[in-house]
Amino acid sequence: MKILVVDDFSTMRRIIKNLLRDLGFTNVSEADDGSTALPMLQNGDFDFVVTDWNMPGMQGIDLLREIRKDDKLKHMPVMMVTAEAKKEQIVAAAQAGVNGYIVKPFTAATLKGKLDKIFERLE
Amino acid sequence: MSEETNPQISLEDAKALVEALEAGDNASANMILREVTSKEHGELFGEVGKLTRQLHDSLSNFQLDPKIANLASDDIPDAKERLNYVMKVTEDAANKTMDAIDTGLPLTDKINSDIVKLKPEWDKLMQRQIELGEFKSLCYSINEFMESAETDSAKIHAIMTEILLAQDFQDLTGQVIKRVIELVKEVEESLIHLLTVFGEPNQNTANEAKKPVDNNGAEGPIIDAETREDAVSNQDEVDDLLSSLGF
Repeated sequence: MKILVVDDFSTMRRIIKNLLRDLGFTNVSEADDGSTALPMLQNGDFDFVVTDWNMPGMQGIDLLREIRKDDKLKHMPVMMVTAEAKKEQIVAAAQAGVNGYIVKPFTAATLKGKLDKIFERLE
Repeated sequence: MSEETNPQISLEDAKALVEALEAGDNASANMILREVTSKEHGELFGEVGKLTRQLHDSLSNFQLDPKIANLASDDIPDAKERLNYVMKVTEDAANKTMDAIDTGLPLTDKINSDIVKLKPEWDKLMQRQIELGEFKSLCYSINEFMESAETDSAKIHAIMTEILLAQDFQDLTGQVIKRVIELVKEVEESLIHLLTVFGEPNQNTANEAKKPVDNNGAEGPIIDAETREDAVSNQDEVDDLLSSLGF
């Protein structure tokens, strides 16, 4: 399972990467915003995306929309891990086709729970 | 102004003007014109005079505080530096902590796996089913384990202390942020002073300016989620909202 973690804060990328490693996911790459993530996804063989919302350059919600528009990527599961907690944003993300939505600050148990749910649905 | 509804020259004045011009009496014509326009000018001059007095009074009422100049030239750039510092310090603290954990976890894993290795022989000893040769090798293994556990636990203690010390960012950044908040308060007070002296804020435009520019835009961490209707305050509320929508 190859995972791309997209967040503009390197510490948050590191936290998510460490948590994923504890859950057994060791093949994790990083990108610092949507515009660097998108070409990585298009040219790579990623299976899963974890993205922040609020980033300079391309924001997470726009990255999600681009992924859903792309024929090659549109079925890729995308999880948002973000401090954005406005209801209309959560609804907008759901409408754009997000597979999971986690608000920061979050716990390792929350991350595991959401991941399990996403992979359950995919099987 | 009522320029469009009320003529700037009365009918009588206009007739007198035409008569004077027809008679070739330029002196009278000029006088009539001057009389008509001087009324308008008088009002304008009066208005300008009033405004000038108001401006003068405002300026003398508003004692230009040197603090305001300092705010713009020193304090605001200083606040930016401080906030950059907060970002740097918190990033360092997070990395320091995670570095410590990266070195600490293998040590605890090693202690655990050593115990798992010793366990079968030890169980035999407890059940008095151990042979002399096994007992001897168990003694050596336990001796080795005690030595490595002693140094490893001391290392773990040092790592814990490192993690503890890394939390000093809370104190450092807290102080810095407090000062920035004070500065923001000062700027706010100066702006309010400026507004009360120089103008009556238009209620409508003030309200319009308050509206968020982009409703779908990102806002960052919500610091007052409990009191806000439009935001969720925890993961459970996110899940409830999504499941209520059928996701």
